[in-house]
Amino acid sequence: MIHFDEMACLLYLEGQLEPARAREMALHVGECGECSTLLRALERESHVLSAALTEDNEAMPARLLSTRSWGVPSWVWTLAFGVFAFGAYWLWADSVDPWLQRLSNAGFGGTDFVSMLLFSGAFWEGWSYMIDVLQVVAVVLVGVAAVGLLRRRVRRPTAIAVIMSVLALALAVPQRAAATEFRREESVLVPATEVIHSDLIVSGASVRVDGTVEGDLIAFSGTLTVTGHVTGDIIAFAGQMRMEGTVDGNIRVISHSLSVDGTVAKNVAFIGSTFDLTERGQVGGSLITINTDADLDGHIHRDLLGLISRTSLDGGLGGQMMVRGKSLRIGATGEIGGRATFRGSRKPVIASGAKLASPLQIMSEEENRRELFEAIRVMIHEIIGFGVALLLGILLVMVLPGFFHATLRETGRIGAPIGVGALALLTGIFLLALGILLMFVGVGAGVAGVLAYAPILYVAQIFVGAWLGNKILGEASSTTGAVIMRIALGLVILHAAGLIPFLGGLIWLTVGLWGAGAVLLGFYRMSRADEIVALPA
Amino acid sequence: MNPADQASELELITQARAGNAEAWGELYRRFAPAIFRFCRRAMHTREDAEDATMDIFIKVRQKLSQFDSSRPFSAWLYTVAANHCWDLLRRRKGRQDLETGEIENMPLEHPDPGQLEQLIEKSTSQEVRRALDQLPSRARMALVLRYYADMSYDDVAATLGVRRAFVGVVLLRARHQLREILGGRGVVAGGTS
Repeated sequence: MIHFDEMACLLYLEGQLEPARAREMALHVGECGECSTLLRALERESHVLSAALTEDNEAMPARLLSTRSWGVPSWVWTLAFGVFAFGAYWLWADSVDPWLQRLSNAGFGGTDFVSMLLFSGAFWEGWSYMIDVLQVVAVVLVGVAAVGLLRRRVRRPTAIAVIMSVLALALAVPQRAAATEFRREESVLVPATEVIHSDLIVSGASVRVDGTVEGDLIAFSGTLTVTGHVTGDIIAFAGQMRMEGTVDGNIRVISHSLSVDGTVAKNVAFIGSTFDLTERGQVGGSLITINTDADLDGHIHRDLLGLISRTSLDGGLGGQMMVRGKSLRIGATGEIGGRATFRGSRKPVIASGAKLASPLQIMSEEENRRELFEAIRVMIHEIIGFGVALLLGILLVMVLPGFFHATLRETGRIGAPIGVGALALLTGIFLLALGILLMFVGVGAGVAGVLAYAPILYVAQIFVGAWLGNKILGEASSTTGAVIMRIALGLVILHAAGLIPFLGGLIWLTVGLWGAGAVLLGFYRMSRADEIVALPA
Repeated sequence: MNPADQASELELITQARAGNAEAWGELYRRFAPAIFRFCRRAMHTREDAEDATMDIFIKVRQKLSQFDSSRPFSAWLYTVAANHCWDLLRRRKGRQDLETGEIENMPLEHPDPGQLEQLIEKSTSQEVRRALDQLPSRARMALVLRYYADMSYDDVAATLGVRRAFVGVVLLRARHQLREILGGRGVVAGGTS
């Protein structure tokens, strides 16, 4: 007797055999014990397999039980932000700032207001105090690598938390050397003979430091007087502060008044009422201040950035000056080494003996208003641009939903659309160049190519915006309103980012290439509609 | 599933599509255990299965608008899960043990029905699962798709990227490999032809 093979038996069992062949087998099995046994065994095997596979022998892991665990954990964002912040500082401190310093030294003017605002003006713990950036980056990288390597074995958030805690501890080790001393009394005095080998945090009605603090001085007091030596920064919240000694770092103060009658090696940041830099007073870096009255008789080696109601300058300023307020007086002994700008309601008074590297630029109220109008004009332009793009987006969603979603999917692939966009732009430029070369014969084709590309470049922002909106708010459901909301959010972000000088241009270029590439790929996908469906429906 | 449950499931899907987090949470609670088990069977390690489960549900949530509500949700879910797991396996293995190439033409020895029955009888579910873990990815995936997710031959073919006519061969080949692991090489094979 000829038997059916195992494959035929399996297909018969699973209902995959052709009807005629299945009937033939049914008849055969009735007569053939061997094939009947094989069929039974295969059927039993199917049951055993199903049972083994579907048996609920493992509990759901805890991390999957909560729906809140989706998305990137918050510590990842914190870590990413930390690394980014350190990276940015490192780049600035090691690369950009030294270059600006060199430029400044070479006589190209100290254009370091940004540096001052970002790294000198803020009232945070001094950068100089922070541990070595490279060390931090190295430890963080080791941590990331460790988490990556352990990822296959260690999945629990608690385990990752332990790793991160160990890392945090590792980062904290170098800081232990710089312990902090606390003093809290009605009147605190650090005598001239005393040396504090750590940071000092003091609070009291009256605080006087005649000695040496080998670290930062952080003070909360009614009056603060420093005649000694502080090797770190002074951070103070005081009624009145007088500095007659030496500070190797920065001074950051919020107080009613601040008088600098000593030497500050780095920058001074002050918010308060009156600021007095005496003739003996020296600021090695820059002064950034918001106050009512400023008497500057001493020397500021770099720049002055101030929102000061009344400014009187009889001392020297090595860098630029940018002051906004009511009045400005530059005395006969006043000197400004860089560009000077004053915005105010009253005409500044400049004594005949004053030495200015360049004429004082005065921005009158009218010019201020003009600048404001210009800013409003730019803003309105952006709002209109945003509105038009949003309207176009709504039209696309409502009139061409298939194309919109296909293009949006392509946008999500990032690399491919940017590549295609760049290629298409190059092709457009090539066509134009070719057109010019071939004169009348080719110009038409070249211009047409570029003209066809222009609207694509314009709608590019809609798709990148929608992609961005999806990333922030989560993938939109089929509701048109939700999709439009995401487009709107993305466009707002893009238009706001586009206003950033220089970076804005780069952002728009990327958006243009990326979105245009996605649109072209979207067209391509639409032309092959059967391939669009990414997931089975 | 009874019509009431089905209606409630559709309602949940509609609400989840509209952004209702509660509805989505309920859908997740209903289907996550089954999908996790599916991933556990398909992937090599528990950790991979956990990651895959999470990724699958993130993907499903994002693509919920594409779901055709005239078809069973679980079937769609399994298809998404199968595609995801298979993509992962394929990427990791570099297709080294996934190619169909020569397998189609490999002769399959006819089993001895008696010995096969014996082997099945003495194998526990745990032993079968352990043996499954030792199978090459394609073989294991084929068995999981067919005997866990209850997928049709068409869907298995689409997921594994093989011709429909070849699905039976893949399944039978996988069974043979499983038997070899369960019983020791050559114990079962070698019967009548």
